[in-house]
Amino acid sequence: METAQLKQQLKQQIIEFLNLSDIIPDDIKDDKPLFGEGLGLDSIDSLELIVLLNREYGIVIKDLKEGRKVLVDVNTMVDYIEKNRTK
Amino acid sequence: MGVISAVGNSLAENRSALRAGQGGITLSRHLPTRYAGILPFGEVPIVTDDLKDKLSVTDPGITRTTLLALHAFREAIADARLTESVLSDPATALVGATTVGGMCLTDELYRDMSGPCEGSAFLSSYDCASVHMYLQDRYKMQGLATTINTACSSSANAIQFGTRLVRNGRARRAIVGGTDSLAKFTINGFNALQILSTGHCRPFDRDRSGLNLGEGAAFLVLEGEEALAEAAGGEAGKKIYAELTGYCNTNDAFHPSALSAEGDGPYLAMKGALLSAGLNATQIDFINTHGTATENNDEAESRAIVRLFREPPPFISTKSYTGHTLGASGAIEAVYSTLSLEYQEIYASLNFEQPIPGIGLQPVQAYGVCPLRHVMSNSFGFGGNCTSLIISKVN
Amino acid sequence: MFYILQTSCISPQATYPPPGAGAGIGAAGIGAPRAPVDNMLKAVEPSYEGIPGSVLRRMSKSVKMGVGAALPLLSSVPQGILIGTGNGGMEDSVKFLKQIIDYDEGLLTPGTFVQSTANAIASQIGLLHHNNGYNATYVHRGLAFESALIDAAMLVTEHPGHSYLVGGVDEISNHHYRFEYTEGWYKKEDLSGKDLYTTDSPGSIAGEGSAMFLVSGAGANALAEVKGILTLRSEDDNTVKAAIQAFLERYLPAGTLPDLLLSGENGDNRGFSGYERCEDMMAPDTTIARFKHLCGEYPTASAYALWLACNLPPVLPGHLVKRLSKEKPYRTILIYNQYEFSQHSLILLERSL
Repeated sequence: METAQLKQQLKQQIIEFLNLSDIIPDDIKDDKPLFGEGLGLDSIDSLELIVLLNREYGIVIKDLKEGRKVLVDVNTMVDYIEKNRTK
Repeated sequence: MGVISAVGNSLAENRSALRAGQGGITLSRHLPTRYAGILPFGEVPIVTDDLKDKLSVTDPGITRTTLLALHAFREAIADARLTESVLSDPATALVGATTVGGMCLTDELYRDMSGPCEGSAFLSSYDCASVHMYLQDRYKMQGLATTINTACSSSANAIQFGTRLVRNGRARRAIVGGTDSLAKFTINGFNALQILSTGHCRPFDRDRSGLNLGEGAAFLVLEGEEALAEAAGGEAGKKIYAELTGYCNTNDAFHPSALSAEGDGPYLAMKGALLSAGLNATQIDFINTHGTATENNDEAESRAIVRLFREPPPFISTKSYTGHTLGASGAIEAVYSTLSLEYQEIYASLNFEQPIPGIGLQPVQAYGVCPLRHVMSNSFGFGGNCTSLIISKVN
Repeated sequence: MFYILQTSCISPQATYPPPGAGAGIGAAGIGAPRAPVDNMLKAVEPSYEGIPGSVLRRMSKSVKMGVGAALPLLSSVPQGILIGTGNGGMEDSVKFLKQIIDYDEGLLTPGTFVQSTANAIASQIGLLHHNNGYNATYVHRGLAFESALIDAAMLVTEHPGHSYLVGGVDEISNHHYRFEYTEGWYKKEDLSGKDLYTTDSPGSIAGEGSAMFLVSGAGANALAEVKGILTLRSEDDNTVKAAIQAFLERYLPAGTLPDLLLSGENGDNRGFSGYERCEDMMAPDTTIARFKHLCGEYPTASAYALWLACNLPPVLPGHLVKRLSKEKPYRTILIYNQYEFSQHSLILLERSL
């Protein structure tokens, strides 16, 4: 799958998984921080995103510390998926 | 009082383990979970069927949670020498707490949910109220009864609510306490939050990595002065362990499953308990902390202690013995705090090596005898529900 | 005991948002009642625009209804939040349970677990308004709301000058409905077009809702005063009768009886005699009204009854009335409710008319 397509797919998955019903994929800029000021996700969301990566892409992230490096923005997530996906 | 936990089936057995520094955290022997051989738990080492036999319970649809509650309840009412007529007295209240209730029956619940619902015997037992409605029925209790669920502070709230019922003249005595049993439901919930430790929990240690779930129950019989005066006039030897002198319930209001970094809720709860007891911080001789060994709780609780106490008193976490018994923890730890007062002793906090950097608090690490007048017991839960109790020696 | 200053209610009827001060609900809330569909009365939910999307997205229905109904009352910054719920969190508990089974205890999402706890309602209300005050949740089934009321009664005595938010919340959980249906608590026959109270059969209809009250020990501008609360567990006729009698003697001036009995009669023919027992203890000129055709049956339905009692119009709509005695201001109102025959509650209210 092309990177651009994967980004779009991931944005849609994030929206559905985290039940962000008041936004659409285009609202999530590739480099918009997921946590803090950007999309405003919190610690429970980070755990949920780890589950998303596992269920959709077969990726295992062992703990939150490892997760923080991956879950910065869509760019870092897609980069990680492309390198580590098993599905 | 009455108690059952991973370290004993009675007050005497629990005290014995605490004095000996002998924790009850092990790999599970009985839990039907894939984590049985992986994660350590504070499991009560009696299978449910054996508990039923021991307690002569033949009713269908009685959950493990209810059985643990019954076990501790029986010990408490015998210890307090409560007769059948006292139990049935409309002036005797029952205030219980649990977070799991009948949700320990994960598989039965799933079958009832998904099959063509013929209805197992457990249909009316899945909620939290079922535990205390069973006790009400079994002991023909006619007074006010209720069930509290404020996550990990549930039974601490049962204690303060029961105390206030008596103080406000709405009951002459209140049997208060809490219970929780190990359940796939909570094991998986806490695991999903990544706060379970794969090793024995290490409260307040720099390298702590989460909590161990536990199970158990404890009940305390609270009696007002009027009830005590009556008892004193009647049969001799009614034991008074201690007095509930202070309590405070606050909300941290920071996050659904984490405390604020500075421990605002814990600080306000402890401060409020002191105010309600008419004590200042220097008068607290010992704290039985909430001390779950999660990164978040122990740091927040430590910061709150340092904020409130210029010189923090000795403290331990008994969760290193029993695991985190959730809805039972407030009551079990109130019982332990009362034992400390009764015998003027402090138990060792287990598995501690290095303090949390930047805070430096160290729990008591060896059993010791020392004069204790006022003990504080903390319980902080999900949803920011924080409750602090102060238990004092009676003159 | 304590005064009710403000009320708010999300229910199967058009009861939300609360009208302006002094307005009374008039016909809007209960004029032309909505009927059950498939024997269920589901709540009319608002848009919840007062709840930030980032928080709303996670909430179960009972948390949404709880927070939604509480919002109009929070500007008064209560010193505590007390919630009674019988089934709160059940639906999310089952969702999480499904995950456990579907993924064989593998990697699971924690959001539903956190939201499934019964204290999520009270704690979310506290969280949204950074309320560090007293916060408690009672879950004793049909007496959960009354437990919260009793706690509030003690708190206003212990802390004069403080106000508290007290509420009762429950949602129709599909799974819990199935269990209750199997146990015979709901009608087996379709009630479309029929009168709930004259179907001579066991069971009632399922309901849900969230009723909130701002209470304090100070009576200025109060809507009503709660003068007495009783909770009882019994299936013995004589015990219940004696308890009701003692309650009336304790809380009413000698020789007087309530102007209105608001009865929790729910159409279950096995419960008729229990409610009749209470009716027989009323005065000939006590009007008798019923409310469960409006809210359905659920553990904290008495919270809806208390809301209704605080907001009744001077002339009662016909569908509420079981027995209309002489028309008079309904100042003293007794609410009598049963849950599953063995849990009984009495609330005595005096309205500021």
